[in-house]
Amino acid sequence: MEGSIILFCLVFWPMAGASLSYLIGRKNKEIRNLFADFVVILECLIMIMLLVQKFRDPDPLYFSWDKFCMMGIHLELDGFRLLYGFIAAFMWTMTTVFSREYFRHHRNRNRYYLFTLLTFGATMGVFLSADLFTTFIFFEIMSLTSYVWVAQEENVSALRAAGTYMGVAIIGGLVMLMGLFLLYDAAGTLTMSQLGDALSSAIETGRLNVTRQYLIGGLLVLGFGAKAGMFPLHIWLPAAHPVAPAPASALLSGILTKSGIFGILAVTCNLFRYQPYWGYVIVILGILTMFLGALLALFSVDMKRVLACSSMSQIGFILIGTGMISLLGEEAALAARGTLLHMVNHSLIKLVLFMTAGVVFMNTHKLNLNDIRGFGRKKPLLCAAFLMGALGIGGIPLWNGYVSKTLLHESILEYMSLFQEPATNSLVGSYSFWKSTEWIFLISGGMTVAYMMKLFIALFLEKNTDAALQREYDRNTCYWNPESKMAILVSAILLPVMGFFPGRVMDPLADLGVGFMNCQAPAEKVAYFSASNLEGAFSSILIGLLIYFLFVRTVLMKKDKDNPKAIPMYVDRWPVWMNLENVVYRPVLLMILPGFFGILCRFLDSFLDLWIVLLRKTIYRQTGKKGRIFNANFKTKMAVTGLVEKMFAGSLSFGLFLVSIGILVVLVVLFLHG
Amino acid sequence: MKESIMIVPVFLPILYGVGLMVLRGIENQDYYKKLTELIVILNSLIIWMILIRHVGRNGIEIFSLTSWLNIYFRLDGMGMVFLGLISFLWPFATLYAFEYMERDRNQRSFFGFYTMTYGVTAAIAMAGNIVTLYIFYELMTLVTFPLVLHYKDRESRNAAIYYLIYSIGGATCAFLGMIFMVMRAGNGIFQFGGFLDSARTENINLLLLVYVLCFFGFGVKAALFPLHRWLPKASVAPTPVTALLHAVAVVKAGAFSILRLTYYCYGTDMLKGSWAQKVAAAFVMVTIIHGSSMAVKEIHFKRRLAYSTVSNLSYILLGAVMMCPAGLVAALSHLVFHAFTKITAFFCAGAVMHKTDRHYIYELDGLGHRMPVTFTCFTIASFSLMGIPLFAGFISKWNIAQAALVYGGRIGTAGIAVLLFSALLTAIYMLTIVVRVFFPGKDFDYESIKDCEDPSWRMKLPIIVFSIVILVFGICSGPLLSFLELIAKGGI
Repeated sequence: MEGSIILFCLVFWPMAGASLSYLIGRKNKEIRNLFADFVVILECLIMIMLLVQKFRDPDPLYFSWDKFCMMGIHLELDGFRLLYGFIAAFMWTMTTVFSREYFRHHRNRNRYYLFTLLTFGATMGVFLSADLFTTFIFFEIMSLTSYVWVAQEENVSALRAAGTYMGVAIIGGLVMLMGLFLLYDAAGTLTMSQLGDALSSAIETGRLNVTRQYLIGGLLVLGFGAKAGMFPLHIWLPAAHPVAPAPASALLSGILTKSGIFGILAVTCNLFRYQPYWGYVIVILGILTMFLGALLALFSVDMKRVLACSSMSQIGFILIGTGMISLLGEEAALAARGTLLHMVNHSLIKLVLFMTAGVVFMNTHKLNLNDIRGFGRKKPLLCAAFLMGALGIGGIPLWNGYVSKTLLHESILEYMSLFQEPATNSLVGSYSFWKSTEWIFLISGGMTVAYMMKLFIALFLEKNTDAALQREYDRNTCYWNPESKMAILVSAILLPVMGFFPGRVMDPLADLGVGFMNCQAPAEKVAYFSASNLEGAFSSILIGLLIYFLFVRTVLMKKDKDNPKAIPMYVDRWPVWMNLENVVYRPVLLMILPGFFGILCRFLDSFLDLWIVLLRKTIYRQTGKKGRIFNANFKTKMAVTGLVEKMFAGSLSFGLFLVSIGILVVLVVLFLHG
Repeated sequence: MKESIMIVPVFLPILYGVGLMVLRGIENQDYYKKLTELIVILNSLIIWMILIRHVGRNGIEIFSLTSWLNIYFRLDGMGMVFLGLISFLWPFATLYAFEYMERDRNQRSFFGFYTMTYGVTAAIAMAGNIVTLYIFYELMTLVTFPLVLHYKDRESRNAAIYYLIYSIGGATCAFLGMIFMVMRAGNGIFQFGGFLDSARTENINLLLLVYVLCFFGFGVKAALFPLHRWLPKASVAPTPVTALLHAVAVVKAGAFSILRLTYYCYGTDMLKGSWAQKVAAAFVMVTIIHGSSMAVKEIHFKRRLAYSTVSNLSYILLGAVMMCPAGLVAALSHLVFHAFTKITAFFCAGAVMHKTDRHYIYELDGLGHRMPVTFTCFTIASFSLMGIPLFAGFISKWNIAQAALVYGGRIGTAGIAVLLFSALLTAIYMLTIVVRVFFPGKDFDYESIKDCEDPSWRMKLPIIVFSIVILVFGICSGPLLSFLELIAKGGI
């Protein structure tokens, strides 16, 4: 063990706290809740302290424990890791405070707290890791402990979703492990900062070719992407979020997906920093994830499912930024900052949104938009909190999401501008491809606006179809306790603060992180509110409004035919059969593969037995008629087998006789040999 | 002659076992149980003394018929690993057996044979030449045969016959190989790098053929496909037998013999790149996938674990067929870690069967809430088996994959792919149990399991100790691995 011990504590303090809180929880539940709060708040305070210290002394901290779990764990605290560690600690603090009220009437709370804190420690481990081996260790622990979140409710859909979650996590983990094996073999190290050099020297000496490099990268990205919710491994995301408890969904979507992104960034920025084709692949995956997520969100009628699909879509935005880093090479400053800031923004926004969804669920125990419609009327604070989140994620100017989306948009435009002078660069894709990418980007932004409008209008503006229920909703004024209120409002107030002063708040954050991505700060400050940037945002908003009024209000809502005056209901128009999980993954993994292997195995298993049976029936067939000998009395036995044969074959002396022949033969052999 | 102390751990248990069954003086159960435990612990203490002082380095000839047909004991590094392993496990397993067998009527014969096996296994670990190894390998079949037959019902009789046929058949192949090697190389004393000299051989293919024969001969005990069938069937035996013998002592003796054969008789130089290696590797890989797949299909608790053993034994062999020092390290580390992992899993299964009489996986719903200690330990074993970091199994999996990468080529890459695919299947067949016991679903009727509870300390202690060992090895495996590397360099 060497280096600064504080990094070790950051990772293992929550884990120790987890076991302590479990023991306390068996005696007293109130003290347990307070203790869990204490654990996360202490961690958050340490992170703040380190953050303050960082501005004074920018050198990163290190910690290493050789031989731990064989390869040793290596932790590092540079700007990016510090930032994300802080965000993780902040989100855990808010959700843990919120959990106290949310879980008041739940069973198995002790289990929840135990695994939440364990996951916290593991997540800190992922974000602080200095080499991919450490990342992998904590990544696996995180995957397993967070399983309990999804399964917490233990109803049918929760267990099913949890199974999917676990399956994806395990397959992802194994694929990643395969990538790590190959990477370690090729590079001889897994330390992130040394990977770039090690790989280029491996390529020079011919130990590694480009195909192999892409194979390694592909395996790692598949592994990390499974956690990030990247297409086509996103299947767990829309299933797991609606069934998990709200604080857990906030963490799943805000932080756990980011740990996957962390891995993808580490791979991209160290292994493929200047490889445009790699960036191209990531961008295409990003586009698919972004557009598909937004589309799914638009169709969903379950509040948390909308938010979950929205997470997927935002991950797509981040992936596009990641890809642009590789594509732009030396000029990747904007893309890197956009990626980082969008990660930060999305984490904070989803924290607010999922906690408000938690408030709704806590009071109504429902999430379907038709049931919770009108719940938010006459609840200005809840409305304000939700609005901050919605405006943030919609990319409305003056809110934080606008800043990062603008940067991402800017980076696409930057790449397109390279096409004006085609002789200079080896460009990937065609101009029209990037033009359409820009449009899909803007349309996805528009869809974000549209589905957030759908949620907002349903929840806070419209009245419920059931008038009695609406009266009940209106009367409900103590819908959250002071702690939860504080947690949600503090988280919500951050969003406009960041968005109003991008130069003051967002730029320093971005400066912290870009070192991790091997990027420099841009030469000049970005004018976030310039006319060209605002134009992009407003075209997105316009598209969003169009989609909402022309598509959501008409196609996705159904009027009751018998009663034309009634308020139209939200309906789920997404075709049931269009579900990647049910159409492809489950049949292949649960029916086709096991069926095939099952038949094969059954045959192979009795392969040798068949031969033995065959021999028994042919050469070694027992003499005499079957079943007769054992049932016969002495007299018939004699008749069947013959007296002499029986007396010899069955007697001890006959056995001894054979043994002595054997010994004689051995002696003869020995004699001759000696 | 301080080496002569090596005879004690072999013959003390054997003589005691015979005495327990033959002498009719001791009828009091408590009395002979205590005596058995005492003898086993005493034996382990002697073994540890031998290990710590490293007494058997020079070897001792116990009995000799001719210059080449002799019983010869010598303890080298690999033997020390195996001997240390069994001497740690045996006292705990005996303790566990006391509670598990408490309602049984034939306890004397059970404990008699159980203790005798200890001696035979110790002899295999200490065997210094191929003849000794073969003789005790054969003896092991005979000593454990009555244990499989213990319940004497139709099913166990069937299993015992299977066991006998397969083992004797395998031993025949091994016998041929042994005779061949002895004829070729005289006394056949093991030495690292092999005692068979390929330079003197005119017909290398004949030698390789004998290797393959021996590989399959010893492979019977290591449950190598297609000779694995006896192992799942033998799980009808009492759990202490399945756990200690059919997950550690007997089957590991098979794997151990193959390691001896590969690294100490033939030597990797002769085998590397030959067709014999390819044949062996192919069967090993098939076994891995086959065992895991069958485990997924199986719904009987113990049989599922037995199929998992089939697959995991071939992990060891996969390390062995990589024919490089890293492969030997990987194989030995998996030999040790899998022993702890699987014995824990089996003991947990046995605890469930003993306390609740449930044998099938679908009957286990919700039991994790009533038997928390048992199933927490089972979860630890599952994670280790899957190869999750922080648990011992991960270390050996990583080592095997590294060995495969060092070897490289098609065999290496295929080995890793097989390993990871099998890990996926492992996750499926272990986690389905873990999930079932801890998350029975919202509507589960907890009344139906209210009589179930954790077993007494005699069963819990071994399980807990082994789980802790799994965690300790998972986190801090440095000393053991550097010892194994020393062995793989031929240093000890």
